[in-house]
Amino acid sequence: MDPSEVDFLSEKQHVKILPNFKEGRIFLISGDLGPFEPGLTAEVPLWMAVNLKQRKKCRIIPPDWMNIGQLEERKDEEKEREYFTEMPSKSYLELASLLLKSARDDIPHADEVQTLIKDIWEIRMAKLRKSINIMMQEKETHARLDNLTHLEINSIRPFLTSALDRMHILRCNVVENPSTGTDY
Amino acid sequence: MAENKERGSLSDILNDSVDSEINEDEGEEVTAAEVLERLEQAWLNEKFAPELLESKVELVECMLDQIKEMEENLKEAGKGDLVGSLHRLEIQRIRYVISSYLKIRLKKIEKYAFHIMEPSNDKTDYISRLSAEEHVYAKEYCKNVEDLLKSLALDDMPPNINSLDKKKSVPQPNLDSYLFMKVLQPQEQVELDPDDQPTDLEEGAQHLVRYSVISSLLENGAVALT
Amino acid sequence: MADDSLYGSLQVRPSGWDYFELDDILACQEKIPCTFETQVKDLGFLDHGSDSEHIEPATKMELPFWLAKELCARQRKIISVELPKVYREAYRQILEADATAVDLNKLGPYFYSVGGKLLEFGNAENPRIAETLMMTYMKRMRRLMDLSLNKLDGSKESQTLLPKLDHDEHNVFAFSQEGLREFEQWKQGVISKLTSSKTVINQRKRKRTEDN
Repeated sequence: MDPSEVDFLSEKQHVKILPNFKEGRIFLISGDLGPFEPGLTAEVPLWMAVNLKQRKKCRIIPPDWMNIGQLEERKDEEKEREYFTEMPSKSYLELASLLLKSARDDIPHADEVQTLIKDIWEIRMAKLRKSINIMMQEKETHARLDNLTHLEINSIRPFLTSALDRMHILRCNVVENPSTGTDY
Repeated sequence: MAENKERGSLSDILNDSVDSEINEDEGEEVTAAEVLERLEQAWLNEKFAPELLESKVELVECMLDQIKEMEENLKEAGKGDLVGSLHRLEIQRIRYVISSYLKIRLKKIEKYAFHIMEPSNDKTDYISRLSAEEHVYAKEYCKNVEDLLKSLALDDMPPNINSLDKKKSVPQPNLDSYLFMKVLQPQEQVELDPDDQPTDLEEGAQHLVRYSVISSLLENGAVALT
Repeated sequence: MADDSLYGSLQVRPSGWDYFELDDILACQEKIPCTFETQVKDLGFLDHGSDSEHIEPATKMELPFWLAKELCARQRKIISVELPKVYREAYRQILEADATAVDLNKLGPYFYSVGGKLLEFGNAENPRIAETLMMTYMKRMRRLMDLSLNKLDGSKESQTLLPKLDHDEHNVFAFSQEGLREFEQWKQGVISKLTSSKTVINQRKRKRTEDN
């Protein structure tokens, strides 16, 4: 899947904004939004928040977890735990990079936040490679990968699916040619 | 063609609704937002599944109707209108999903055209998975490819090798290809691999498995591809 | 290693198969050592080492897999087929000892694929061949992952390992790298900028040359 499509999917999630315009409820196909009052928070999908921000129609309120304190805690937890921790959003990296790109001035300590998110991503990717390694050593033929986010799955998908598809053919060879002798 | 008739009646009901409240034939109330959600999941399932899945053309038609109606309403809205521009943005997003969904299906139909159109007892009845339009397209496509192969080569071959074996010599999807899926409804004791003990599938869990072991769960909506 | 009874219900091919796949066609061209069992009239010229008019029984010749398969059919056994040496016991032991160091590209660019096809001849050593193919692949998969998922810069390790990959392995590598490239571009925000597709660019070029 193209990463831009992963982005596209992540843009469905809702974020809070502070609008500077007045508008009644908006009846979108994907659901009703608003009403919008200057200075009162409203929830909108990310694609709309970014669009409004670009037109200087709102400020985006970053999600609760997007601050130095929480991210540091998450980073430590991710390091300590053997398995993947559950992320606050199934698309934390997409959300973070989009906000850091288009609403950087709305995120306190944006530079530190960016570094922490990158750290967490890297810890998780290292963990992912380690799990695949174990999976291969144990000759597992399927795997449970809870809490992996969309972008993480997407980044490992080409390798894992194509490598395992080929392994499956070789496994079938073994099944079709069972050893009858005494060597095994 | 029975299934097309049925589909027709279903979309008729969908067409009739003017508001975002939509009635499905089983009396189940479905909002436009829910139809959109289902369409998006159908898009992802189709994207990752190796074979052609059941057509969700009724969801497409429903969304197209919603878009049409919305665009009607937007005619009066000026270019600078804030709300109008947000509606247009949303319509673009939905159009993307619809066209990507239809394109993925067309690609599969072209790639596996003969496999889809040649019915056999030991495989899925793919013809029933086609929408009426796709069926016409697939038939036409098969005919064109066959005519091409005939005029290019087969007609000049000796009689014993001048026909196309539509059961053997055609591309087939790899039903054992690996993919990622997430569990929507918990399942007990599913055999994910003959080499392993059966496993319970917990709601929300994600697995890397072969398509063939979960294809029936995908069909009844217990799992989704991701 | 594997308990065969557990594999019992594993679905076997043909499931995914592309008759027109170029890789498969190329793999079918790989040469296999054969011995003629019967005389074949008037085709002696095919054997460069002999002047006789016919191919005589016991003549040894290397034939592509697709031809060998037809000539070795049960009804008319015109030839008998030998295992290419890379699938024989001596090589199997080398592969088992150090699968990762072996240059599979040299042993046959379609090592796994041809190996799988050879099983169709029903050789007595089939179980061992099948097992060696799988073990070799599994042992090499870890390296393949490191290669496939590392940054696109041509590191020294990848320079020495890449040429040793079998064709299938190379496809996995190329496919993974393509995904990695897309991801890197996404990270740099390149993807959000619209680019015209390659085909459109080619077409424009062609038009321009036609005009000239």
